[in-house]
Amino acid sequence: MTPGLQAYLTVAGVLFAIGFAGVLLRRNVLIIYMCLELMLTASTLALVAFSRFNGTMDGAIFVFFIITVAAAEVAVGLAIIVALYRRRRTIQVDELNYLKN
Amino acid sequence: MNLPVIFTIILLLPLISAAVITLFLRRSGKLAECASVGSGFLIMGLSLYVLLTWNGQTFHQSWEWLRFGNFSYSMGYLFDNQASLMLLVVSFVAGWIQLFSVGYMDEDEAQGRFFGGLSIFMFSMLGIVLADNLVMLFVFWELVGFSSYMLIAHYYKTDFANMASRKAFIVNRIGDFGFVVGIVWCYHHYGTLDLQTLANIITAHPDLLGTGAAVGIGLLIMCGFVGKSAQFPIQVWLTDAMAGPTPVSALIHAATMVAAGIYLMARVFFLLPPFTQEWIMWSGAGMTAFAGLCALGQTDIKKSLAYSTLSHLGYMATALGLGYPGLALFHMAMHACFKATLFLGAGSVIHACHHEQDIYKMGGLLRRMPITAITFAIASLSICAMPFFAGYYSKDSIISAAYLMGANHGAVFYGVYVLVFVGAVCTSLYMGRLFFVVFLGQPRSEHAEHAHESSAFMTIPLIILGFLSLTAGWVVYGWTWDNGHMIWLLPASCVQVFIGDFNLIAKQVESSSLGHPLEILDIVLGVAAIIATYFFYGRARTGDPLAAKAPGVYHLLERHGWFDDFYDWYVAKVQQPVCEMFGSFDKLFIEFGCVWGTGLATGLTGSLLKRAYVGSLHAYVYWFFAGVILFWAYAVGWL
Repeated sequence: MTPGLQAYLTVAGVLFAIGFAGVLLRRNVLIIYMCLELMLTASTLALVAFSRFNGTMDGAIFVFFIITVAAAEVAVGLAIIVALYRRRRTIQVDELNYLKN
Repeated sequence: MNLPVIFTIILLLPLISAAVITLFLRRSGKLAECASVGSGFLIMGLSLYVLLTWNGQTFHQSWEWLRFGNFSYSMGYLFDNQASLMLLVVSFVAGWIQLFSVGYMDEDEAQGRFFGGLSIFMFSMLGIVLADNLVMLFVFWELVGFSSYMLIAHYYKTDFANMASRKAFIVNRIGDFGFVVGIVWCYHHYGTLDLQTLANIITAHPDLLGTGAAVGIGLLIMCGFVGKSAQFPIQVWLTDAMAGPTPVSALIHAATMVAAGIYLMARVFFLLPPFTQEWIMWSGAGMTAFAGLCALGQTDIKKSLAYSTLSHLGYMATALGLGYPGLALFHMAMHACFKATLFLGAGSVIHACHHEQDIYKMGGLLRRMPITAITFAIASLSICAMPFFAGYYSKDSIISAAYLMGANHGAVFYGVYVLVFVGAVCTSLYMGRLFFVVFLGQPRSEHAEHAHESSAFMTIPLIILGFLSLTAGWVVYGWTWDNGHMIWLLPASCVQVFIGDFNLIAKQVESSSLGHPLEILDIVLGVAAIIATYFFYGRARTGDPLAAKAPGVYHLLERHGWFDDFYDWYVAKVQQPVCEMFGSFDKLFIEFGCVWGTGLATGLTGSLLKRAYVGSLHAYVYWFFAGVILFWAYAVGWL
């Protein structure tokens, strides 16, 4: 038996919730970033599922673009994190509070 | 050359002269003199050329300058009989007075500034003469106000000149405010500001003048005249304006600028409903008698002449109010001749006495300054309307016109006649007083003792204008020459504007039973008044005999009816508190409420929002999440 739309959406929802919880709870910037990516992936999965079950390819093509952009974004994001670490010697968000005051 | 080109040259010449003087010749007084006087005489020549070649047809041409929606603002020239007379007076008198200034200002340090000011005044005044619509006229109207202000303040190192210039400017603003409101209302009501179109509208629909709006417009435009010609109730600036150099008093505050108010009224005469005319008539007649009396209470020679100017502007206003704008312009022209002579004579005396203006420090100048004394005497007789002098023809016609008004249109107008008659007797009194005190008797000071006749720069204009004070009025006899282009000493085109009114009055005087006897009575009383002043003032050693005999009356005349004191009280005790009341509204509502209030509210909001800025990434995520929920709730309609 092939899984239905509901199954795909459930997986996407669970992935999104895990990602969101990670963003909320973890202290490491790298982990938070990975969780953000997880949330992005969850939405992509939902998009592909909708596309498949609608019988149109629009969503699938859209996802290609999202993945491309996400790849570029990861490159920039990781570079920022590396630069941040070099500058501050930490990537714990609790200690990155220079904007306060 | 065609007319618009010549008019443009006439108008721009003094502007160019002023610009050159201001930019290059401020330090070189002699060159500035040349530029100003040269342009003055060029204007005189060009004006005479225009007046002699003009075919008598009203010339009107305008060019669009600005357009706002439906309102198009044009500039142009309207040259008719009124403008031709005014152009002659302005260009002719101004040329000679500028020449006189060369002599008068010879020891001044700021000749460049002075002659630049005279040039800019000429530009503004010629603009008023030639303007074809009310907006253009108003622009130049303000420019003469500015140049008057600038020239009064020539001796800016004295407090008095500074205050006088500001007073002149501010008091004129009051009149001009009414004027500008009148112009706007005129446009709203009649749909145009072009003088010729307005005249056509009124001619086609005379009933338009019966409305309340027409009365309002007439009264408001009259405000401009009241301010500039120093009529009741804002006449107070003119006597203080004498703080300026004497040629300025002669040119601006006697011969031309103050007469511009009369010219304006003649120009828009068709716009004035009967009520406005009556107002002008009564205020003018009142001013004639009142200022004539006040002139007796001044020891400053120029102030006394300034009151005389007020009085004679009153005559012109009376003529306007009686319905004879032509007579008003006739008197304006004659007045320009003899009052310019009187002021220049006074200037010559003041210059010779090292800027002493108190007549009781002069005396015995007849032998020392014969040319000045004789021209002054001629102009005095002219202003007193002695027969065959220029003033006789214009002033006596106005007095007769007032009498005829009373005879034909109800006894109440005899009041006007009495007032102008009193004014005429006063003229003889104060002119006799001035002449006998200044030129006869013994010198009362060192300076008067050593005075001597002024240079040719000053005597030549005196002789020419003095000659005109004697003869200019003979134009009414209609002796023509140069194939009818000239009538006596005036170009024929300038005579048209007043000769009709003059002949009409002369004919009515012939047919009325009391006309001639009253004229003779006027002359006899005038002569008697002059003789009386000889015995009353002529032998005074020090101080004014009237001040010694009747100090109360003299004080009233000296303070000219406490007008200034009343205005001082009004400004300090009434206007100031009202201003402070409005000022406190500004402080409370605008400054504290609006300006400070906005700042405070923004600052408070900022310091509140700063609390949300905790520096923890997770907190921001919660904020973000809360925001998303809020949006979602709004989107599904829960909020």
